[in-house]
Amino acid sequence: MHSDAVDTAHVLVIGSGGAGVRAAIEAAGYGETMLVSKTLTGKGGCTTMAEGGYNAVLREADSCEIHFEDTLKGGAYLNEHDLVQILVHESPHRIRDLLEWGAVFDVTDCCEVAQRPFGGQRFPRTCYAGDRTGHEMISTLVDRLHATDVLIENEITVISLLMEGQRVSGALGLDRRGALRVMLADATILATGGGTRIYDISTNSSSGTGDGYAIGYNAGAELIDMEQIQFHPTGAVYPYDARGRLVTEAVRGEGGLLKNVEGERFMKRYDPERMELSTRDVVARAIATEILEGKGTKNGGVYLDVTHLPRSQIECRLPVMLEQFLKFGVDIRDVPMEVAPTAHHIMGGLRITTMGETTLPCLYACGEVSGGVHGANRLGGNALAETQVFGKRAGEAAGRVKERKKAADQMMIEEAEQRIGSFNQGDVPLSTIVRSLQTAMWEGAGIFRNGPDLQKTLGIIRHLQTLRPKAASAANFAECFILQNMLTTASLVVRSALLRKESRGAHLRRDITQNWDPEHSPYGHTYLSLSREGIETRAVK
Amino acid sequence: MKEISVKVFRFDPSCDTTPHLQNYLVSVNEGARVLHVLHAIHDEHDPSLSYRYCCGSGQCGSCAVKMNGQPVLACMEEARDEMIIEPLDLPIKKDLIVDMEPYLDRISSLVPGAEFHMPAPDEVEAIKPLRSCIECLACVSACPALKVIDFAGPAAMREDMRLSLDPRDTCDRVTEAVSEGLFTCTSCQSCWKVCPKDIEIPGKAIEKLRALANQKGLTLPRHQEVEKLVRETGRSVDRTGTTFLEQVPEVLEPDGEVKAMVGFFVGCMYNMRLPQTALDAMEVLRRNGIRVIIPKEQVCCGSPLIRTGQIEFLDTLKSRNINAYLFRNIDTVMTMCAGCGSTLKNDYGTPFKVMDINEVLLRFGIEPPARLPVKATYHDPCHLLRGQGIRTQPRELISKVVDLVEMPAICCGSGGGVRSGMPQEAAALGENRRNEIDKTGADLVISSCPFCEFHIKEHTDKPVKNVATVLLEGYREKDRRTAQKKTC
Repeated sequence: MHSDAVDTAHVLVIGSGGAGVRAAIEAAGYGETMLVSKTLTGKGGCTTMAEGGYNAVLREADSCEIHFEDTLKGGAYLNEHDLVQILVHESPHRIRDLLEWGAVFDVTDCCEVAQRPFGGQRFPRTCYAGDRTGHEMISTLVDRLHATDVLIENEITVISLLMEGQRVSGALGLDRRGALRVMLADATILATGGGTRIYDISTNSSSGTGDGYAIGYNAGAELIDMEQIQFHPTGAVYPYDARGRLVTEAVRGEGGLLKNVEGERFMKRYDPERMELSTRDVVARAIATEILEGKGTKNGGVYLDVTHLPRSQIECRLPVMLEQFLKFGVDIRDVPMEVAPTAHHIMGGLRITTMGETTLPCLYACGEVSGGVHGANRLGGNALAETQVFGKRAGEAAGRVKERKKAADQMMIEEAEQRIGSFNQGDVPLSTIVRSLQTAMWEGAGIFRNGPDLQKTLGIIRHLQTLRPKAASAANFAECFILQNMLTTASLVVRSALLRKESRGAHLRRDITQNWDPEHSPYGHTYLSLSREGIETRAVK
Repeated sequence: MKEISVKVFRFDPSCDTTPHLQNYLVSVNEGARVLHVLHAIHDEHDPSLSYRYCCGSGQCGSCAVKMNGQPVLACMEEARDEMIIEPLDLPIKKDLIVDMEPYLDRISSLVPGAEFHMPAPDEVEAIKPLRSCIECLACVSACPALKVIDFAGPAAMREDMRLSLDPRDTCDRVTEAVSEGLFTCTSCQSCWKVCPKDIEIPGKAIEKLRALANQKGLTLPRHQEVEKLVRETGRSVDRTGTTFLEQVPEVLEPDGEVKAMVGFFVGCMYNMRLPQTALDAMEVLRRNGIRVIIPKEQVCCGSPLIRTGQIEFLDTLKSRNINAYLFRNIDTVMTMCAGCGSTLKNDYGTPFKVMDINEVLLRFGIEPPARLPVKATYHDPCHLLRGQGIRTQPRELISKVVDLVEMPAICCGSGGGVRSGMPQEAAALGENRRNEIDKTGADLVISSCPFCEFHIKEHTDKPVKNVATVLLEGYREKDRRTAQKKTC
């Protein structure tokens, strides 16, 4: 049987990306804090891969009100207004924290943080460190984390939340060897990031498997807008194994042009005003349409061209892009890139209050795993800001939770052990199930959707959920749980997509015609929990 | 799809007594990376294979492994048929997973002061080249010093330099770096050459930190003595006998047709410690149509000062050397010391072309020497292989005379001021060389750097010779055979 090591902390933070580390830093000021990471802290998650930037209002000519409006408009008015207000007002303070802790952002000649234009924004407010902004942030945050007393537990996969009645009281995890770890806490923060690994083509790191959505849902938390999947317009298309790899929006921010195989700047037919710097939902659909209509390259992409830019600009502002493409034999200074949409970000997630409280007592969420900030389409640069703004808030709120006597529910532990044991009797290789899921999601719940395909996809997911994944050794137990989390997350996406009978932001239903624009939609959030599901309606102005 | 045959290191310390290499034959897509091969093994053959990865795009530094002995990022390096995949040279947890945390923990963190200083644009520009480190620890794995002595490692040294450039940091990173082993670096440049982000740790961090240490009076006493000697004599070693420059005229005319003309930069070691080797080289050049101009006013190149951070006197040396060749209208200067060559090529900005003797000989072609019945191994000097990118040329020359057996290209311990400043470390690295030399079964060790030759001689019972000397022996044998034929 497994050894049940028990750890206790005042605050337990699950996830070691930008939001998790920020939350842990904040929570550390209130009591004993433990951070568990599925990977090595600082290396996991998508923050370190985020390239383009961090949105913050820093100039006189810009204003929080404009940032607010841009975010709402970009989000097809599905955003939670309170959350957006907090995002735009606190983002400048949080970048200041990072600067004080040593972040090396690019600066102007006047010693101000430099900003570049990003899609869907009326002011160039995206702060950056070349095209390795997220890496700069996570390096700084981990630096800061090491200066606190936070206990860091690396390479532990959290498999479920522990409950005391309705209250979340910690989590269960598995270490690399498959041994069970019991972690008890007064407050628990989910900062597990996103989950677009459920799609065949995705920008996400290996940790983007939707664990937090699934764990939260299984514990009874409510999730909103899970149908809202952002397909980033520009992902690499070859070689085969590198397809989906993020090609940052900063490429277009720096002046990169999108062209179809005929050399036409096709964005003029989709958004003549904003062109390449339209919002991601619009650009992704435009590219997908061009490709579907046969105007793509033979590798299945369109061109993203920076060859007209000064070479020094590419080298200085897009060094990671330059290096990555060079590794694959393409010098972007001389040859256009080929790109196509790739699953990037889940706008939906756990329903939170402005303090990061979920619908379950003592469970908090921040970063991509939460929903509501970005509405139906996220603006580039708002995610990194979100990690810091809501990471801090969740850490603070969790820290303020009152201390309790902690005890593990033996029933729940036994239940988990039974689940683990069942993987020994499994008979289907994990990779078979994962690949079936990813293909089904890409085909049936991708950029263009319709009711019958979504129903079919849900059927496939439900079938896959009945298969018994096989663990070759104890070290594979965690992978089995992760697979089940992917299936749960996928089912939440598809169920929500069926609930939203309109096209809104990133969610496009080809089988539905509507006579309203997003601003006047009669619908609010979709919601799902163990006990209820539906779509909110709202009074149309 | 294509098939790839791969050997993967397998070891589970909880049940295996020794590691082994496992063969796999896997199908992967065109353009697949090492990581995709590992995925294919895990998914299709053996789910028990353990390896670490995360971002899949070269940004998180989780997946570094050794491919055919060289540290690479598995997610970025293209897979090759017949490749061998092993873990980094760090404590192994299981299979390809190593314990990174002890080294990651030794990387310092910025300690901000009460008052905030926004870095200026020039400070940001200075920091940036050191900031792209993804802490993959490829450099730690490749560092030869870490195999014999404990120090914080190249990644940590890089961060110390970055912090010392940052106006927001409040700690004394220079003193910290010194206590963490700043002077253990042999400047072999392995860390830079394996860095997936191409961070020039020796030049941009170690030497810069040593220069800052110099300002604080923290330079090692032995290194200070060398600097004093250079100031006083223009040479980094003291006089023990007749020098090379005292034995040669300013112009050495070749036999027969003049194929090329080069200025010769002899360097302190060949001038004063191994003059015979330099004379051997002149003999080889004379035989191969190279006219050699040897300005007598040339001085130390300054390498021992740069590597140890004592750069005050450097500009004087530079201008004296450059002028010596400039006045004679020499357009190509030949070095035969790997350290001098690397310094003239990388630290000088010369108005003339600099070529190593191996490059010169191959460029203009040489008369074939006789083959000798000798099995020899070649030691790559760090400042020739990594400092100048010269790998094939000496091998090609050597193979004309003797049978060459390869050994891994690892620093012998003589560079970076380590031989004088950290003699025990230098000796330990020299002993590592001894073991590699013994493994080859060679009767002779050949190199192309006076520091390496001098140092390795103390750590092997085999003779150690310069490439030029071996060529000359080939010519002498050839002459002997010709003479023998004539007498018959």
